[in-house]
Amino acid sequence: MGRYFLRRLLQAIPVLFGTTFLIYVLVWQLPGDPFVGRCGDRVCPEAFVNAMNEQFRLDEPLLIQYGHYIANLLQGDLGLTYNMTPVSDLVVQAAPITLRLALVALAFEVVIGVIAGVIAGLRRNSFFDNLVFVSTLLALSIPTFVLGRFLQWLLGVRWGIITPSVSGDATWGELIVPGIVIATTTTAILARLARTTIAENLRADYVRTAIAKGMPPRRVIGVHLLRNSLIPIVTLIGLDLGTLMVGAVVTEGIFNINGLGGLVYDHVLRLDSTVVVPVATLFVLIYIFANLIVDLIYGVLDPRIRYE
Amino acid sequence: MSEQLAHSSAGTGERPRGLWDDAWDELKRRPIFWISAFLIVLFILMAAFPGLFTRIDPNAADLSRSMESPSSKHWFGLDRQGRDVFARTIHGARASIIVGLAATLVTTLVGGLLGLLAAYLGGWADTLISRLGEILLGLPFVLGAIIILATFAGAQSGAGPVLIITLVVGTLTLLSWPLVARIARSAVYAVKQADYVQAARALGASPFRIMFRHLLPNALAPVIVYGSLMVATFISAEATLSFLGVGLRPPVVSWGVAISEAGSYIRQAFFLTAFPTAFLCITVLAFVMLGDAVRDALDPKLR
Repeated sequence: MGRYFLRRLLQAIPVLFGTTFLIYVLVWQLPGDPFVGRCGDRVCPEAFVNAMNEQFRLDEPLLIQYGHYIANLLQGDLGLTYNMTPVSDLVVQAAPITLRLALVALAFEVVIGVIAGVIAGLRRNSFFDNLVFVSTLLALSIPTFVLGRFLQWLLGVRWGIITPSVSGDATWGELIVPGIVIATTTTAILARLARTTIAENLRADYVRTAIAKGMPPRRVIGVHLLRNSLIPIVTLIGLDLGTLMVGAVVTEGIFNINGLGGLVYDHVLRLDSTVVVPVATLFVLIYIFANLIVDLIYGVLDPRIRYE
Repeated sequence: MSEQLAHSSAGTGERPRGLWDDAWDELKRRPIFWISAFLIVLFILMAAFPGLFTRIDPNAADLSRSMESPSSKHWFGLDRQGRDVFARTIHGARASIIVGLAATLVTTLVGGLLGLLAAYLGGWADTLISRLGEILLGLPFVLGAIIILATFAGAQSGAGPVLIITLVVGTLTLLSWPLVARIARSAVYAVKQADYVQAARALGASPFRIMFRHLLPNALAPVIVYGSLMVATFISAEATLSFLGVGLRPPVVSWGVAISEAGSYIRQAFFLTAFPTAFLCITVLAFVMLGDAVRDALDPKLR
């Protein structure tokens, strides 16, 4: 286990450097002069240019610049926005809100998606199964931003059940609808995956053996079937943390939530990459870390997977 | 004589049925396939010949009639600049369909080819392609696209429709080929040492022939399954990016752009958002259904 963990950790390092390097080059190098169009419509203030030059050594060769950038990043120094606010302050303010939103979304995904999928898989071709099929089809064909806009209009403007735009505190209650919006696509995929896996495993020999031994159905389903079906489900949830974060960019933008996604959304629109780069890098870090965790959970769920 | 022979052999002994015949038979029987096929043909017609559906110029603006509600003359109403929403929605099909199909095609070709090369050549080529893929997959899809497109946003002021669409297609492709490459690689890898491949090699077949004649067909089914689901993803991603203001932009007429432009007027003029949104969702729905049907047909695990 320890050796496996170490190996996966080492494998993640090139990916980490590769991705951050890519983002770095894209944002600071490509358009030639790094300050053209960097501060929205205005010309960058002198103080900002100097501070950036000093921090990122923009006059030095690319690799040295990147080295400084990584060194700064590791020390938690994410640079300044062009009105001289430290980006790390913005991130510290925004992160708890996005975390709360992600938890709401994750809870919805796991509860609704997995339960619906498991029941549909157990009762294939029943009315419920068809209902799940049709609803997942619809959920998959409505882009996140459309659903967000629609629910905001329907529940917020038309019916007045929710406030169309989330307050600065972003309480749990306010985050329920945005959370569901983010989770919808993944919930549908999860339900379908759970259905397929359950239906497939239901025909497995070990299930037949368990039933033949006279085990109560509760135990066959709860212990034998569910545990063996969990691996692909957990994988998907881990892989889809990426979707969750991107969903956050769109959804936080729509509902005016001051989270990390909203931060990216606002600054992308203003073409301010000083905020976009560090936050995007943070997203990438979370994403890679989540995949690592998923790999490790495999071993807990299925002892047959040996880490060698 | 030989024609007769061929004819009689076709008449008496049935041609051996392969995966593709089975898949087609399965597809034919599913109503969902015909519904999606009908919708897709309709949207492709709309993309290719918008003139069949409307004679109104989508760019003709009459500012004095800004945001007029739907009427018998303008079925979907007029937008903020007094342009006909019906015409703009019909003409918007082109951008979405082109982006969806072109990005899928390029992604499948590039990813399939690189996956094939990685599996066949092994060694440093495999390492290079796989690591590069991992790095690109490390970026969450839409987030990566936002970063790339936002980077080029400054450089493309005043750009024409072709350049804008190419940029979006290129970005989507760049971020998704690794998934296809991974699928193709594992499919090819599984049969690389099979007896028939060894036999072909022993008979002196060129690497080119081995790759394309013997190895590639194995990767075709899984790649096609993935590709058919990809069209819907790309169309939806394009609309999302356009909505965020980094994807397609005017002068391109597109649903995403229309929804984005109509955004702030949802209270006064709901129809401005409703019609392009409905078209977008139905198109994505059609491609999701097609992808579902193709997957069920080619992947018989659950039959």
